[in-house]
Amino acid sequence: MTDIVASNPHGPCIVAPEARGPCIIATSLTRRFDPHLSIGDRIAAAFGAPVETRAVRAVTDVSFTIHRNETLGLVGESGCGKSTLGRLVAGILGPTSGDIRLEGQPVMRRGRKTTTRIQTVFQDPFASLNPRRRIDATISEGPIAHGLITRAQAPAFVADWLARVGLDPAVATRFPHQFSGGQRQRVAIARALAMKPDILVCDEPVASLDVSIQAQVLNLFLDLRAALGLTCLFISHDLSVVRHVSDRVAIMYLGRIVEIGPAAQVYTTPRHPYTQGLLDSVPKLRLDADAVSFHPIAGELPSPLSPPPGCAFHPRCPRATELCRRERPKLAPHGASEVACHHA
Amino acid sequence: MTAPLLEVTDLRTHFFTRAGIARAVDGVSFSLAPGEILGLVGESGSGKSVTGFSLIGLVDPPGRIAGGSIRFDGQELVGLSEARMRAIRGKRIAMVFQDPQATLNPVLTIGTQMALALQAHRQAHGRVTDRAAAERAGAMLTRVGIPEAATRLNNYPHEFSGGMRQRVAIAMALLNGPELIVADEPTTALDVSIQAQILAEMKSIARDSGTALIWISHDLATVSSLADRVLVMYAGRIVESGPVGAVLRAPLHPYTRGLLDSLPAMAQPGQRLAQIPGSAPSLLALPAGCPFAPRCAHADAACTTPPPRIDRPGRQALCHHPLDAAA
Repeated sequence: MTDIVASNPHGPCIVAPEARGPCIIATSLTRRFDPHLSIGDRIAAAFGAPVETRAVRAVTDVSFTIHRNETLGLVGESGCGKSTLGRLVAGILGPTSGDIRLEGQPVMRRGRKTTTRIQTVFQDPFASLNPRRRIDATISEGPIAHGLITRAQAPAFVADWLARVGLDPAVATRFPHQFSGGQRQRVAIARALAMKPDILVCDEPVASLDVSIQAQVLNLFLDLRAALGLTCLFISHDLSVVRHVSDRVAIMYLGRIVEIGPAAQVYTTPRHPYTQGLLDSVPKLRLDADAVSFHPIAGELPSPLSPPPGCAFHPRCPRATELCRRERPKLAPHGASEVACHHA
Repeated sequence: MTAPLLEVTDLRTHFFTRAGIARAVDGVSFSLAPGEILGLVGESGSGKSVTGFSLIGLVDPPGRIAGGSIRFDGQELVGLSEARMRAIRGKRIAMVFQDPQATLNPVLTIGTQMALALQAHRQAHGRVTDRAAAERAGAMLTRVGIPEAATRLNNYPHEFSGGMRQRVAIAMALLNGPELIVADEPTTALDVSIQAQILAEMKSIARDSGTALIWISHDLATVSSLADRVLVMYAGRIVESGPVGAVLRAPLHPYTRGLLDSLPAMAQPGQRLAQIPGSAPSLLALPAGCPFAPRCAHADAACTTPPPRIDRPGRQALCHHPLDAAA
C-alpha cells in the first residue's frame, strides 16, 4: 500500500481562517427526535400511563461558522449530539429549527439536500459500503448519477481515485469484504471525494482502526485535504486525533457547544470546566516512571430526555454555584475562543 | 523477589482451520508477580486476546493450546480437567471483558447474578446464605463506585449505563477475591471521562487488594498510565517486554517504536504522522523469519531467519537489529 500523493508538509494554517471568508454558517441549529407514538400510546399517555412522550433534544441552539479551507474539529462523548450535528451539516438530516447555509445557500430545502458539494465519510467502513456491490460501482455511482462523468469514463475515473487513496487500481472489481478495515476506509474516502466536494464531513473516520492503520488514514486525509483544498468538519471522540487535524475545535456537551476556539488555545488553556475535565481524563503516554494520578470528571452524562436546568454541566462541575443551577450560560468571547460558562 | 504468581512458558495456541493452522499465540513466555499490573499491547489479530483466553482455559475449537505451560501458583493449568479449571476460573482467576452488555445476563438482576457467582464457588468458602451474598455483592458494588448499591442489586443490566455496567462486571470479577484478574479491553467501549474513572478504580483496587492484573489493550497511553510492565505482541509473539517507562522511552523493537510514532500525540499538529507501512500479515501466511520484516525500515537479509532474543537488564526483545545497537 503506497501513498500516491507525495508527502505534503501541511503545517498549521498561515492565513488566519477568518480572512478566507465563511463557507458553512450554522445558525441556532436545533434537532429534536420525537418518539413515534401510536394512537393507542397517545391515548394511554393522555390518561397518565407511563408512555415516554418526551423528545430527545440531540442538538440545541448551536451556531458556528466553518471558514474556507479550515478544519473544524468537533469533540464530545457519546450521546452529546456530535454525530447528529454532523448529519445536519451534511444535509442528511433536516433541523427542527434554525438553518445551515453553504455560502449563503441553504443546504436543505423542503427536506431534501440541495447540493453535492458536501460529502461524508462515516465511522464504520463495514456498514457504510454496500456489501453486494463491487467497489468500482460504489465509487462511480454518484458521479455518474450527477453527470460529473459519463459511464464510459467511469473505469479510468475509478482507477484514478483508487490510486489517489493509495489502493491498487486492479482491486476495482472486488467486493468490500475482500478489504481490510483500513482499506475499506480508503474506499469510503474515495467515494466521498469522487463527488468533488468542497466540504467533507468526517464522522469518526478512524475510530475503528488499529493505531498503525489510523496513522496511515490520517496521513492520507492530511495529504488529500491539502491537495484538494477541502473544508472539513472532523468529528471524533479522540482528543489527540482532533488536535492533530483541526485548525479550530468545538467541544459539545449534551447537545450544545460549550467551548469553541483555535485548537492550540482550547488544548493549552481550556476555559470551560468540562473541556478541562475531558483533557485531564485522557490517558497520557507516560514516559517517566512517576505514579500517575487520574483526575476523572465525577458522575455521568445526564439523559438528553431531561437535561438539567441552568448549565447542563452543573451536576458534575466542581465550580458550580447557585447561578449555574438557575441560569444557562451563553457562549461569550474569551480571547480568541468562545466559552459558555458563568465562571470561565 | 517473591515467587511468581503466574509463569507462562512457550505458550502456543493454534487454530486448526480448513484454510490452515493459524498460530494465534506462538511461543509466548512471561511471568507475573503477585500484585503486579502487566499491560499486554498489540493491534487486532496480534494474539493478545487469545493469550488472555488461554490463561483462563476458554479457547474454543477449532483453537486449542498446542503446547507450552501455564503455571498458576505452582499448578499447571494446561491440560487441567474442565471441572478443576472451573474451580479456579472465577474464583482465583477472574475475567473482565470488553463488552459488559454481552457478559451480563440480561434476564437476571445484578443481585441474582452476583449471588450465583458466589454460590458457584461454595466448596471454597462454604454455603452462602442469600443475605450474606447480598451483603457481599452490595459491598463490592460500593467498592467500584456504584451509588445506592443495595437498591441497585435489584436492577437488570439494561437499567445501567455502559460505564456502570462495566463497573458491575468488575465488581463480579472481584467478588471471590481473585489473585489474578485478566481484563480484555475493558474500557475500549467507554467514553474518556468514564474510562478515566474506571482506570482510577482499577489501579486503587489492584494496589489495595494485592490482586495481580493483566490489562489487555490496543492503547499504549492507557497501559502506560496503569501498568508496571508491558508486553508488546505482534503476529502471535511477544516482540518486546520490560518496565513500561523504559520500553516507551527507548523501545528496542522497531515495531514498538513505530506504534509510538503513529500516535498523533507524538507529532506536531497538522504534520504527517510517522506511519508503519502495510498492514499486519495474515496468520495463515506469515513471512519466514521475523513477521514484522516486510513492514520494517531496518529489515535486511538477516531478517528472513528467526530473530534472536535480545536480553537487556529487565527487558527483552525479538529482533535482529535492536534499536539500541544502531546508535
